[in-house]
Amino acid sequence: MADIPSIAASVGSLKQHLETHRYICSDQIATAVYLAYHLRKPVLIEGPPGVGKTELAKTTAEMFELPLIRLQCYEGLDEAKALYEWKYGKQLLYTQVLKQTLDEVLQGAKGFAESVKRLHEFGDIFFSEEFLEARPLLKALREEHGCVLLIDEVDKSDHEFESLLLEILSDYQVSIPEIGTVKARSTPPLVFLTSNNTREISDALKRRCLHLYIPFPDIALEQRIVNARVPEIAPELRKQLVRFIHDLRELDLKKVPSISETIDWARTLLLLHADRLDSELVRNTMNVILKFQEDIESVQPELRSLTDKALRS
Amino acid sequence: MDQLLTNFIRALRNADVRISTAETLDAFSTVQLVGYRDRQLLKDSLGLVLPKTQDEKAAFDTCFDQFFSFRERSPLPASDTLNGGDASAAESADGAQPSNADAGGSGEPQGQRTGGQGADAATEVISEITGEVEALGKGEISEARSALGQLLTRANTIEVNMAIAAAGQQVNVHEIELFTQKGVYTRRILEAMGQAALQQEIFTLTGSDAIPDRRLSQDLGRRREWLRERVRDYVEHQFLLHADVTGRRLRESLLRNLRLSSLEQRHYRLLQDLVQRMARKLVAAYSRRRKVFRRGQLHVPRTLRRNLKYDDAIFDLQWKSVKTDQPKVFAICDVSGSVANYARFMLIFLYSLKEVLPKVRSFAFSSDLGEISDLFARNDIDDAIALALRQYGSGSTDYGQALTDFRKLCLDEIDRRTTVIILGDARNNYGDARTDVLKEIYDRSRRVIWLNPEPRPMWNTGDSEMRHYSPYCHQVDECSTLTQLERVVSRLLQSHR
Repeated sequence: MADIPSIAASVGSLKQHLETHRYICSDQIATAVYLAYHLRKPVLIEGPPGVGKTELAKTTAEMFELPLIRLQCYEGLDEAKALYEWKYGKQLLYTQVLKQTLDEVLQGAKGFAESVKRLHEFGDIFFSEEFLEARPLLKALREEHGCVLLIDEVDKSDHEFESLLLEILSDYQVSIPEIGTVKARSTPPLVFLTSNNTREISDALKRRCLHLYIPFPDIALEQRIVNARVPEIAPELRKQLVRFIHDLRELDLKKVPSISETIDWARTLLLLHADRLDSELVRNTMNVILKFQEDIESVQPELRSLTDKALRS
Repeated sequence: MDQLLTNFIRALRNADVRISTAETLDAFSTVQLVGYRDRQLLKDSLGLVLPKTQDEKAAFDTCFDQFFSFRERSPLPASDTLNGGDASAAESADGAQPSNADAGGSGEPQGQRTGGQGADAATEVISEITGEVEALGKGEISEARSALGQLLTRANTIEVNMAIAAAGQQVNVHEIELFTQKGVYTRRILEAMGQAALQQEIFTLTGSDAIPDRRLSQDLGRRREWLRERVRDYVEHQFLLHADVTGRRLRESLLRNLRLSSLEQRHYRLLQDLVQRMARKLVAAYSRRRKVFRRGQLHVPRTLRRNLKYDDAIFDLQWKSVKTDQPKVFAICDVSGSVANYARFMLIFLYSLKEVLPKVRSFAFSSDLGEISDLFARNDIDDAIALALRQYGSGSTDYGQALTDFRKLCLDEIDRRTTVIILGDARNNYGDARTDVLKEIYDRSRRVIWLNPEPRPMWNTGDSEMRHYSPYCHQVDECSTLTQLERVVSRLLQSHR
């Protein structure tokens, strides 16, 4: 069991621990985790794809040694898939059993009124916790020692689902009409929401969250990230490729390469036993960092000058 | 302490960062957690709690830097008369409450300081004289006589701050609106505090023969400089709190109702922001995915599927529903000289609504008509409009030709879900109006909306063909200001609900 309070004692210590779990981050990001832990508030993470939004939640779970419960959002996600569902099969079986025992229960009852009274005494477990199938959100609330709840790509879900989240995010509880309110156990979950900004998240949701924007990292930070993820790569090559990616991000592209692409590229170059960049190598491995043919074509003529620039630095 | 944060939040709100009460409370608990000691940590933390979009974050950054400037603010210059303990007390009090000048403001009795009159001492002369510092050494020093002089030699920082705040209220510093007014307010506050009398005193003291008097004059000179700095800071703070935005709001409300044709180039930037903000508001209002349930129609397959789990006992009924389609919009813009400006802003508007209007196709014409949707797909809005204007903008207006071209280009694609917006003044240079083509479009489409930038009384005068076109439009509107434009677009979105 990790000693969570001591890890989260300060921003610096959090940053260090994240780093030992190979997540290199800026102060801002560590501060977000720090505040999320101490203020018990969910964090809404926004930023371009591939800068490590989801990774932050995963690493935090790893660092605190808490279970990670992940809810991937998509259009049409509803409470039956996110929150809870009744175990219909079991309920059906229950009614079958009930039918058989009904005679025993009602034996000797005089008249209809008394039968109904006895039935009421029998206890209603049809809608009870035993028949409740917990989905991610409810599961997260029920975790005994707390957990990390990752609600991934919340912008992909419908507006209705956002409203559904509000109760959980502000009070760490959900209301189930048939049962009542389910509150989080002693330690509420640490909630991360990620969004790719395909649409505006509603103000109500934003208001309840800390808002963290993760931009592309600067050169030094990205080099450290590559170093942490692909430690085998030669420092010289690392410097060159990060430089190259940064120059590439300056260009007008449909999709600029993100950190995950930088790491993929580093792995690719490692696999090819490259020790320095050259324009031929870059040309052949271009499809690792650029995902649109259009982009690859527009970069093609600049390749040589970009490579030279990266080499000179 | 709390006052400081509240003021900061007020300054943020002034800078267009939307902060709710709940977020204010969050900010308080955040500050309780992290404290004021580490500036970067404070900035990082508040930056997570208060601003919630990227734009807001940028505004927050500048606002924070300005507000918590923690400039090297020297405490009152210590002198021989001011004993050490007092000075350090003043300093620590100052450190604890960086903006207590404002905090003390409201509760202070007004007008303690009686402003000295007359004595129009030329500041230049004084500063020139104090410039050459006379080495007088330490020793006896005279007592200051003017009220302000006494305050400065005697008081600690807090007292001076309170005096500044009181003077600030006296001159209504909260009415400051433009940054050019900073200087004026600084001077007025100093005057209200009795600077004139102090100047006069320094002036006479400098000329005095007695060394203690001259020492005092030097001391007062230093203190006066210090005071000026203070007042400048104070005004700066007040400006952050009260102003900036009022000036901009004023301009914006003017621009909203200004005829778009009378706009000058330099307003475009501001106006574009404005249009985009208006568009965002509309997006927020209309971006909900709409579902209309057809009342009373059972969706049999779905009901059976859903009820399988109940052992085919049907009690969860499913109704038929239709998802309403997002409107398909064809915008036809006259981009000849007279109307080009209107076309520009309508196009900006339509393309800023991408989230709720994904299917916008636009066409530009003056005599020949061509599709310009591609330009918008490849360039940002600014460039696209410039290109469109250059490509189609020259030529005399010919609506007949344009409508014929439009029919040739995409009449087949107009269906019951299509809204056609035509923007133009309908001045056809006495050419053939070709209303038959418009009628064809009218018959096929869901709506034809004609937006005419000219004021209504001007319609149908001269070569305007409005009277012939309007029977074949579902809606004819005047559209010469942003407000009118917004209304039209909003109605367009509404009609598709």
